[in-house]
Amino acid sequence: MPPKYPETYLREKPSWMAWERIADFLYFGFKTLGKRLSIALLDVGGIAILWILTSYVIIRLSTGEIGYALVPWWTFGIGVVEIAALWESFGRSFGHRVARLELRRGDGGDPALHQRFVHWLLWHVSVLPLVGLLPTPPLHERASGLALRPFTMEGRTPKPWWRTSTGLYVAWLLGISVVAAVSVTISWEDLVRLFTNAGSTAKFWRSFFSPDTSIIVKTVRALVVTVFMAMTATAFAVMVAVPLSFFAARNLMRGLIGRSIYTVIRVAMSIIRSIEPVVWAIFFLVWVRVELAPFAGVLALFVHSVSDLTKLYAERLESIDPGLIEAIAATGANRLQVLRYAVIPQIVNPYISFTLYRWDINIRMATVVGVVGGGGIGQDLFFYLKGNLWTQAGTVMLFIIALVWAIDYFSARLRAKLA
Amino acid sequence: MNESPPKKNHRATRIRRRLLALFIDWLTWGYVAYGVMYFLNDYWWRIPLERFYTTLTLPPWGWPAAVLGTLAMAMICQVTGYSLGERALKLEMKEERPLNKEELLMGRAMGKPFWRTQWGVMAVFLLALTVALGWHIVKIDIEALLRPSRRAREMLGEIFPPDFRYFFASDPAFELRGLPYSILDLMMVTIFMALLATVLGAAVALPLSFFGARNIMGFSPAGWFVYGIVRGFFNVFRSIETMLWAVVFAIWIRWGSPLAGIMALTIHTVAALGKLYSEQVEGIDPGPVEAVVAAGGDRLEVIRYAVLPQVVPSFWAFTLYRWDINVRMSTVIALVGGGGIGDMLFYYKNEGQWALLGAVVATIVAVVWAMDYLSGRLRERIT
Repeated sequence: MPPKYPETYLREKPSWMAWERIADFLYFGFKTLGKRLSIALLDVGGIAILWILTSYVIIRLSTGEIGYALVPWWTFGIGVVEIAALWESFGRSFGHRVARLELRRGDGGDPALHQRFVHWLLWHVSVLPLVGLLPTPPLHERASGLALRPFTMEGRTPKPWWRTSTGLYVAWLLGISVVAAVSVTISWEDLVRLFTNAGSTAKFWRSFFSPDTSIIVKTVRALVVTVFMAMTATAFAVMVAVPLSFFAARNLMRGLIGRSIYTVIRVAMSIIRSIEPVVWAIFFLVWVRVELAPFAGVLALFVHSVSDLTKLYAERLESIDPGLIEAIAATGANRLQVLRYAVIPQIVNPYISFTLYRWDINIRMATVVGVVGGGGIGQDLFFYLKGNLWTQAGTVMLFIIALVWAIDYFSARLRAKLA
Repeated sequence: MNESPPKKNHRATRIRRRLLALFIDWLTWGYVAYGVMYFLNDYWWRIPLERFYTTLTLPPWGWPAAVLGTLAMAMICQVTGYSLGERALKLEMKEERPLNKEELLMGRAMGKPFWRTQWGVMAVFLLALTVALGWHIVKIDIEALLRPSRRAREMLGEIFPPDFRYFFASDPAFELRGLPYSILDLMMVTIFMALLATVLGAAVALPLSFFGARNIMGFSPAGWFVYGIVRGFFNVFRSIETMLWAVVFAIWIRWGSPLAGIMALTIHTVAALGKLYSEQVEGIDPGPVEAVVAAGGDRLEVIRYAVLPQVVPSFWAFTLYRWDINVRMSTVIALVGGGGIGDMLFYYKNEGQWALLGAVVATIVAVVWAMDYLSGRLRERIT
């Protein structure tokens, strides 16, 4: 006699109770949710930017003031969301276009108007409280019989851009931005002066042909300081950026700890990089004593170069050929040997060429950093400009142009040789 | 045998290369002499002689002596093999002898590490000289870096947290200068400056780039002439910094006018984009061009149907890249009278209002970072 098992012993658990199924449901649910949300965010954000720019232009042209919304903020919010919903239901929106999707019927045909209408109505129910998005397909798509399918060009003639809603959107955005830009940055008096006042720069050009010879020795000394500023900053930046770049390369930093180090370095570098060296120079000029102006300039260039070089180096590291690494690793080499024989030979020349490029940029930047007081030739230039000494300013500019041109030429020649 | 160049020409090239190598060595020794003079001067100043602080200058016969002396050193280097010029031009003097086993295996160059070769010794010496010279010229002072000044401590205390009081409302003190703008308003102006400069610059550079492309202009004398002019324009105008252009336009139009900044950015954009564009046009696949020509297309039709389709994606990528650079530049172009958010930045810096300055810098960082990210993503999709 068989032992008495409970009735449900041999039956499978209901599928929704299995942990894997629940995990799958949540995972894919949130994945599609994220995708749909980012599409919706793109559309809403795009419409909002367009609205803001349009009202900016209208306010600017009608009253001459600066304003960002014609209507109260809640009207603005509702309007933007509504237009985005309409756009997603009745056309192929910007977000769909970016995600390479389109709205199709379940059997693949073109959606009918009433289906689109149902889609739009139920969109409010499912996207705004977010509940309808969790099941796949989401509520509004299930009820309207429509679904987002990968977009294909098969069996269709491509439409010209002015027949697609995204094309019109981008055109309007560009057009209205240019109108807004013109209306706020260009005034009539300035424009008139641009076309009539060219003579006022004559004093400047004259100095190009008759430079002030008495300041040549002084200028050359300042030029040497500038070159050495760029050189020192680049040299120290390379020393820091080369080791850092290995920690900022995604293919080398695996695992949780590696990824977090990678993320921290990349974020810090991109923040540092978005501040111009001139602004860094302001900071370091306060930091160190006044007599050390060139040192402050070097520090500013150094900080900016480190972040820029780390990014360039790391991107180069990310695109190395993995085949060589595998080949060396297959011979039983340890990590250091892999680095030595598979990674470094691939990156030496690009690294040198990036460094030269950066040195070239640093020379230009060193002249600019000098203008805020960071030493070198820029400081002289600013001094002469403030004192309305046009001949001297023109002479200094002549030297700067010659230096930049020469460095640019040689670094381009060298880089062409390295590539 | 037919391919070997004529004997005479070959010899002229060899002599020219030798002279160039000598010239490089001469310059190197000139640099060494400059370094020695600099150090002499530097330490001369520090010798506490009674009321005798003056710079050390060369006597009248010193200049010719220095010139000849460096030339002599260069020649000695060439003869003894310590020559960087020869190494740079790959003109090694070779001994006529059979290679030993190691050299056969690894190649002659791998025989010695570079610091054991003669040019390597010279290079290391020059590097050391440069570092030492740079250390003195730039006045590197680690102590000053590690011990911030009193003002710096003040600044650090105030800058965190930044004061966003004037993000939406305009600063009354700043309004006195005739600029009733908030940070947000000026940031919009800055972005618009970059936008206009990029659009204008790209619109001018696009047609110009075809005149600067070798394969479009053909090889007639007129073609060479136009090509030379356009390329020369690109090169010269590119090497003049945006900041210098801004100085010129600030004098021309008005100090602090956004239009001055736009014009400065535009001119540099035209030159930089024009060069990138025309290089791209030169690198196209000639097949479609030949096909259109064979079908009887004229030059405009060639550009329209064979060239443009090949270059449009990379043109967009370059333009986006340039837009990114222009946004960065336009944030600081106010320093030399270009207008935009830099006006506020440098105003607060001069006033020493660090908390408000922090807000401006934070806004700039956010915008530049966002633009960088967006243009990077877009470029990835395009190319």
